[in-house]
Amino acid sequence: MKIDQEAHTSHISQKFNEELEEIRSQLLEMGGLVEKQVQDAVDSLVDGDTRLASEVRKTDKTVNQLQLEIDEVCTHILARRQPAASDLRLVLAVIRATSDLERIGDEASKIAKATLRLAEEGTSPRGYIEARHLGNHVRQMVKDALNAFARFDTPQALAVLREDDKVDLEYRSATRALITFMMEDPRSISQVMNIMWVLRSLERVGDHASNLAEYVIYLVEGEDVRYTKPDKIEQVLQHDDEEDQKGSST
Amino acid sequence: MKISMKNWVKSGSPWIWLNAGAVTISVVMVLGLIGLIAVRGLAHFWPADLHQALVTDRSGQQQMILGEQVQVTQITADQLRNAGYQVDEDIQLLERQLFKIGNRDLYGFDFRWALTRELENIEYPRHATVLERREWGNYYGYLIGIKEDGRLIAEQPLGENILWDEAQKRIQRAVGIYWEIYNLERREIGQVNYQLEQLRLAERRHELRGTDTPENLAELAEERAYWNDQYAEMEARLAELYGQFSRDALVMMSADGQRSVIGLHHVVRGFQPNDMNVFQKMGHYFAKLWEFVSEDPREANTEGGIFPAIFGTVMMVLIMSVIVTPFGVMAAIYLREYAKQGLLTRTIRIAVNNLAGVPSIVYGVFGLGFFVYFVGGNLDQLFFPEALPSPTFGTPGLMWASLTLALLTLPVVIVATEEGLSRIPRSVREGSLALGATKAETLWRVVLPMASPAMMTGVILAVARAAGEVAPLMLVGVVKLAPNLPVDGNFPFLHLDRQFMHLGFHIYDVGFQSPNVEAARPLVYATALMLVLVIAVLNLTAIAIRNRLREKYRALDM
Amino acid sequence: MTTTEKQRTHGMNMGALNRDAGSSELKLSRETSCISVKDMSLYYGESQALKNISMEIPKNRVTAFIGPSGCGKSTLLRSFNRMNDLIDGVTIKGEVNIDNQNIYDRKVDVADLRRRVGMVFQKPNPFPKSIYENVAYGLRIQGINNRRILDESVEWALRSAAIWDETKDRLHESALGMSGGQQQRLVIARTIAVKPEILLLDEPASALDPISTLKIEELIHDLKDRFSIVIVTHNMQQAARVSDFTAFMYLGEMVEYDNTDTLFTNPAKKQTEDYITGRYG
Repeated sequence: MKIDQEAHTSHISQKFNEELEEIRSQLLEMGGLVEKQVQDAVDSLVDGDTRLASEVRKTDKTVNQLQLEIDEVCTHILARRQPAASDLRLVLAVIRATSDLERIGDEASKIAKATLRLAEEGTSPRGYIEARHLGNHVRQMVKDALNAFARFDTPQALAVLREDDKVDLEYRSATRALITFMMEDPRSISQVMNIMWVLRSLERVGDHASNLAEYVIYLVEGEDVRYTKPDKIEQVLQHDDEEDQKGSST
Repeated sequence: MKISMKNWVKSGSPWIWLNAGAVTISVVMVLGLIGLIAVRGLAHFWPADLHQALVTDRSGQQQMILGEQVQVTQITADQLRNAGYQVDEDIQLLERQLFKIGNRDLYGFDFRWALTRELENIEYPRHATVLERREWGNYYGYLIGIKEDGRLIAEQPLGENILWDEAQKRIQRAVGIYWEIYNLERREIGQVNYQLEQLRLAERRHELRGTDTPENLAELAEERAYWNDQYAEMEARLAELYGQFSRDALVMMSADGQRSVIGLHHVVRGFQPNDMNVFQKMGHYFAKLWEFVSEDPREANTEGGIFPAIFGTVMMVLIMSVIVTPFGVMAAIYLREYAKQGLLTRTIRIAVNNLAGVPSIVYGVFGLGFFVYFVGGNLDQLFFPEALPSPTFGTPGLMWASLTLALLTLPVVIVATEEGLSRIPRSVREGSLALGATKAETLWRVVLPMASPAMMTGVILAVARAAGEVAPLMLVGVVKLAPNLPVDGNFPFLHLDRQFMHLGFHIYDVGFQSPNVEAARPLVYATALMLVLVIAVLNLTAIAIRNRLREKYRALDM
Repeated sequence: MTTTEKQRTHGMNMGALNRDAGSSELKLSRETSCISVKDMSLYYGESQALKNISMEIPKNRVTAFIGPSGCGKSTLLRSFNRMNDLIDGVTIKGEVNIDNQNIYDRKVDVADLRRRVGMVFQKPNPFPKSIYENVAYGLRIQGINNRRILDESVEWALRSAAIWDETKDRLHESALGMSGGQQQRLVIARTIAVKPEILLLDEPASALDPISTLKIEELIHDLKDRFSIVIVTHNMQQAARVSDFTAFMYLGEMVEYDNTDTLFTNPAKKQTEDYITGRYG
């Protein structure tokens, strides 16, 4: 059955409502932090801002801490409440999402590290534009995925999933361009490789963001859509919708 | 520390005191009741010492009396003055004593009052003798001689006791012969009479059916001749025994010097209470007690035992239980399990409950009118026409008494059983039904065993009520003296048509209908005690059975 | 049943039980269903307690009925062995077919039906008899009094109910001396002693402590190879643990009937969702 945002506020147990609301809001808080991390990491890279880069690395600790906290609350909920149906899906989605967000944080941290390395080794002659572009793109994906989570918005989640293909395309063309450049100018290989790693991290961030979107679909629709193409997902969801309408009309 | 009145009331203590007080009063009353009848009744069998004294009555006549002191009371001087006694002005109260002096054949009365101040020379002569007789009550006096076949064979002066052992021996012999005669008359001659009666009825039956052919009659005549021979034989033996029985006699002298010759065939036992030690007295006491519970009554129920009454009571209660239990249980099962619950069943229930409130004498009237005259009369017409006009079942008897009481106690059994049935948890019934048992199978195998303690409770209540009931019984079967027990050796062994004796009625009869109320009063108490004991034993038995059942079918805690 | 066979039947069931398009009802073929309810309604006097119930209950599986108090789940269960007959004023419309026969047909012998469809109740209800006699009760009702057969059946039933070891040394003691959990397993032994095809369990563990409850659940798991089991329970976790299929009932209606896994992770109906997640209905 499809659920909406209000679903987790109508339990007979008020405490349960609060607990579910807590993990949801903590997850969004964590998501906000991670999103900012990604943005800062890309900014620091582009601007060569080492101070900002150190900050990004510091934030990672907070993110890790948040993951631990959310996981603990989820464990408690599983042990004490034995949630079922949408509640169970929410808890599972949150546990999975924290792990993905944490990985996004890790990737951001890696980008910040690359900034620091580039500051030492000298800037890369190429790739900043690609990085900024890809960075903005995946940051937007993370933001949209989190929004979809916050609003239980399946279409937006689907949009994020579709976006991932574009990211992959962009990543491939960027790397191809950089490889060509490296072949032309082998002296810059070391610096450009750093950018290559950054792009690689950003691509990973996009993957994690689309994972988040899949969890949103699982949470809202109850369908596990991992390893499924977006078109097929859309089909399944459409079918479910029809069924729901039928169910409510009888 | 002072506790205020308000707090004391709040604490609940007053209620506890009140409740405890009520319980205490009940216990005291029950114990008092049992104590009173036990003391009054049981003391009767103790061989009291014999007082001998010279009494000077108000007319100046002097008389030597010998007897048991029964009672010592105070009497006001005024009363005595009014009765013509000379009493000094300054005396308010005087003591007077009641003596049982026996010798009714000599004096015409058993008891005598005497003012203590009228008594002189009170002594307790060692050899004063009591002879318990089968008629005229006790004899108090002294043994002075023994007669055999009318001849004086031994003599002793007053104050000696050499003949006592010999006299005791002869009393024992006479008592032995008495029992022989008793058995012969009761058992064997009873048997012969019964057979002869049966032959007479058989002949009458033949007549009524028109089968009085010469062959049949000859057969009967032959049999009758046989029994008549038997009878003649026994008659001869009886005559011989009677001769033996009245061989001896004791020559006695009463305290005031009258001589009497007392045939030993009248004597039950002789003893010299003043010469007995405590153990001998106890032996005597228990022998008397045993006689009381095991023998037939004598002298218009004022002497001897109450065995037929005990037997009749128990018998009647047992038969009543046998009738009322299945009847009541079946009715309750139908009402609770099968009948459609509605206005009709409710009405029936109310009616049943109201039956319990109908005065018992009404049941007696009903029993007499319906059972005895209608049912019994018709039964006689149908099955015992040969005995008519003398009724068989058309007269009060054990069966009608039991039936009447069964009717009286039916509501109790129905209500208790219904209560029990309603307490069987539904889940147990469903468990049985779910295993494929039918309703009847469930009822038989599970529900009824579990309800059996409740049925027993009903039976206990019924027994308690029935055993104490007297009024209706007087109309439907109880008599003051039944010639035969309702059970004997003749087929069909249990004679439901016979009349019987009952402890409750016995009390009434001895206490109020007796020619000698004073002498019988201790027996009233003793009989009452016996009645209480019988009811207690019957109840305890039933309670023991119920508790065993309860343990076995301990209801599930649901 | 061998493992492969089991897998095959299981697979077949799963195939057959896939949700049909446009409907949450389970479609079972005749071979795989043991009870088939068709458009059944039940009335207590004027009030309707069950509303047009249609369902197929699979063979050799555990089917659980859940729902709030008074939703009719016990009533439905009791209608499978006609226990509702005992209540005055009950009328039933529609069909309940067992072995292709409508059990509400006039020709059906109710006692025989109850022999084939055993039932265990909420509270342990052993008879006040010995353990042995409790188990032998159903057989004796059938007229079996042969000592050898009885001995064998009693042992078989007690072993099947996993209570033989606890009772073998005190078979002739009163059953009322056992603990609640033991009593309930004894009652199950008593029920399976008559070898029914179907076992109806009406909240069998609701009066028991958690450990006894787990033992009963384990027993249900062991028994489903040999019997088709239908269980009513208030305890959703219990339904989730023991059953293969779960039906959610509400106000006399069969709201949702589905694979237990599906029902507890992604129910199709909001009422189900609200009930199993503990929300305002």
